[in-house]
Amino acid sequence: MVIELIVRISSGIPGLDELIGNGGGSFAENTVTLIYGPPKVGKSVFSYQFAYEGLRNNEPCLYISTDYGLKDMERNIANFGWNLNEYIENENFYLIDAISTISGGEVESKPNYLLASVHNPTDIMVKLGMALRQITSKLPRFRSVLDSLTTLMAFNDEVLIVRVLTIYIMRIKESGGTAIVTYTEGSADSKVENMLKAIVDNIIHLDGENLTIEAMIGSGKVRAPYNITSKGIIVD
Amino acid sequence: MKRTYIPKLDDILGGGIIDNASVMFSAVPGVDYEAFGYQMLNGRLKDGDKGFIFTNVAEPETIVYEFRSYGWDLEKFLQDGQAFFVDGTSPFMGLPSDAKYSIKDYSQVEEAIMEAIEDVPDGIGVINNLSTLIDYLGEDETIDIIKKWNLHGKKYNTSLVYLFTKWDYNSNLIQNLKKSMDCVVEIKTIEERVIIGQGFMVAHSSWSEPSDTMVLFFVVQPGGVKVYIPKILVTGPYNAGKSTFVKKISKKSVSVDRKALSAFPTTIALDIGHLEYKGFVADVFGTPGQERFDLLLDVLGKESVGAFIIVDSTAPQTFARAKEMIRKTKAEAIPKVLVANKQDLPGALSPEEIREKMKVGKDIPIIPAIVTEGRGVTDALEALLGLIYGD
Amino acid sequence: MISVMFMEDHNMEFFDYLFEDAAPGDLILVYGPPKVGKSIFCYQFLYSSLVGGEPCLYIVADYGSRQLEQRMMEFNWFLRPYIQNGDVYIIDLLTRLAGVKVEDSGTLKFSSVQNLTDLMVKVGVSTRSLFRKSSKFRAILDSLTVIFAFNPPNLVLRLLKAYKARISEARGIGVVVHTTGTVEPSIENSLMELADLKLCFDGEKIQAESSAGEKFVQYTITDKGVKNIRG
Repeated sequence: MVIELIVRISSGIPGLDELIGNGGGSFAENTVTLIYGPPKVGKSVFSYQFAYEGLRNNEPCLYISTDYGLKDMERNIANFGWNLNEYIENENFYLIDAISTISGGEVESKPNYLLASVHNPTDIMVKLGMALRQITSKLPRFRSVLDSLTTLMAFNDEVLIVRVLTIYIMRIKESGGTAIVTYTEGSADSKVENMLKAIVDNIIHLDGENLTIEAMIGSGKVRAPYNITSKGIIVD
Repeated sequence: MKRTYIPKLDDILGGGIIDNASVMFSAVPGVDYEAFGYQMLNGRLKDGDKGFIFTNVAEPETIVYEFRSYGWDLEKFLQDGQAFFVDGTSPFMGLPSDAKYSIKDYSQVEEAIMEAIEDVPDGIGVINNLSTLIDYLGEDETIDIIKKWNLHGKKYNTSLVYLFTKWDYNSNLIQNLKKSMDCVVEIKTIEERVIIGQGFMVAHSSWSEPSDTMVLFFVVQPGGVKVYIPKILVTGPYNAGKSTFVKKISKKSVSVDRKALSAFPTTIALDIGHLEYKGFVADVFGTPGQERFDLLLDVLGKESVGAFIIVDSTAPQTFARAKEMIRKTKAEAIPKVLVANKQDLPGALSPEEIREKMKVGKDIPIIPAIVTEGRGVTDALEALLGLIYGD
Repeated sequence: MISVMFMEDHNMEFFDYLFEDAAPGDLILVYGPPKVGKSIFCYQFLYSSLVGGEPCLYIVADYGSRQLEQRMMEFNWFLRPYIQNGDVYIIDLLTRLAGVKVEDSGTLKFSSVQNLTDLMVKVGVSTRSLFRKSSKFRAILDSLTVIFAFNPPNLVLRLLKAYKARISEARGIGVVVHTTGTVEPSIENSLMELADLKLCFDGEKIQAESSAGEKFVQYTITDKGVKNIRG
């Protein structure tokens, strides 16, 4: 009998934990999962659910957002009936907002709300370091989301972003975190796309109808249909 | 003249380097040679000169840390502004840099280093690593840029030190690089299946006529580049002529025969000599032939860079023991020469016959010798040095 | 004894079958698309080597040495005792990038993914030490993916030639892992030319190709590693 040595954390997606780990969580702790697929299939919704699940369990979340600023995110999340505000207030939710500075709008930086720019990955890495120091001083377990790589690649050299992602992954793992990163299929050079798939631990593909586990530490390939409902993504 | 702060190197170069010299350390992959550049820089900074490091191999913070491990305080010089970085690493990885110059793109390298040279008149700049530049910029462009930097170095009286890893570049490129430098120091390995030693040798210098001596070194933390006198082992079965060989090959020698340290609770007999030949210096150890000294063989074998195996050409019954000793001394993994001694005696086997009987590969030279008359001793040494120098 | 049990338990005879045509001094290229079990194969190759008494060099280039230990533990392969005994040399290229202050200890060495000169220095030191420990040893470089992202491709090829020469000279068996489709086809071709034996993984079968010919085995990944499925 082999002792199960993998600690899995819950995904926050109804049905997914049952599909992957017999209900005992989805992602092996301390791993990084790539969520990819065509545009508008629920990659960001997936990210919200993953983050929110952690927040509800008192796990801090470090969120790097390149497409939605704080206000948009709060609204998007509220649409599913969840309240982000509470976690902004208790400083369990850390947001590196890499879009608001370029989309205009008055925003004020706070200890857990850090402004950066998609044009400047170096600055994102600086803010990442700042946020990680604060988070790890609180709790050894946390979640992180990087949504999305596509936008970073659109504004920067793609291979530079692969290097930045490599460092991001190492920093999250060495600090005890578990992360998901999102990417729009076909948006970068195929060589870069292959590199992305190689350097993450797990891969989930979304196509609007089916969710496919293409790679997952400790489990095999599985596919199941999913829907985006008023309560977020639900896997059948 | 400026000192290099590398032991022995100043002597070989006739006192040091000219103030505005361009110096290239050209190293075989696998040799630990970054310390050469850093040691020169540290010495010059301590003398009050200004200096910079261009890096495309590590973040400045890592280099500061490396300096510390050698026992050198780079941070102090950075804070005083006496030293600074041209950082070609951090921006490349999306990491922040507080270096004086940071390079986002390889097209900026040329200009940044030109400015850095101007910032350190009468000082020193270290380029680590030149090889990485070549594969980013292309061969011809790199040569052009180096020429410009070196001219600029002349103008501002700045020494430029390049660290170059000799990967599998074409010989044309390597020739062109060498031609662009005032001085080239080759850093080589001594190999026998694995790297067992490293040595440096001045290949060319525009202001002096250096000898082609290979100086063996290791890099220690703390301390940096330290030169050492290598050991050469003389071994072989009992009565093959080892003691005489040690005497003949050495400038001076001594036989130790006394109650030794507690590690060897018996009488040991050891012949120790010191040889100097065409600039190569080494300590020579003749080991006892009897089996009870095999432990000693093991210890000496680990520290040696070369070995002479002496056999009595008239005593084929001892050849098995000779092979056993080669194995015991770890001489399998150090360059070695077989000396077929006592060629003057009746019944002596020829080198070819010995090779056949001992089943020794062609890569091990077998030198006929009459050690008592000193014949074949120099040939054997030449053969071993050929193996050690690897050319 | 342990070795035999391990082999039986893990259905390892297909390893021997695949490596039949490899001799000491050879370079083996393990390649294929992402997530088909190339690294798991390497862990298994490493672990079977250690259990069988052959020391090993492992260059971990896509994550840190801590993650390597973690990942192997998922298969019940425990590296710690072998690290403590000095049977495995690990060169870790990424942990420093995480901003973690780490120091070399024993046979665990830290280098940087963009400093290939330093990597070769450490390969030199470790091959010397492994060679002295045992006349048979293995060296695994897993993988080239991140190295390619941090260095010009031609320099990576130069590194590989130096690596191959170093391992081959010491009569070790060298393994290099490459993710297909991460570099230009011309670079990929040069990689293929450097290898004495190529093992192509596609998720279902491992195709072995050398001058002795071609053969393949069907495989699957289980909690005991890469497992042969008999056809």
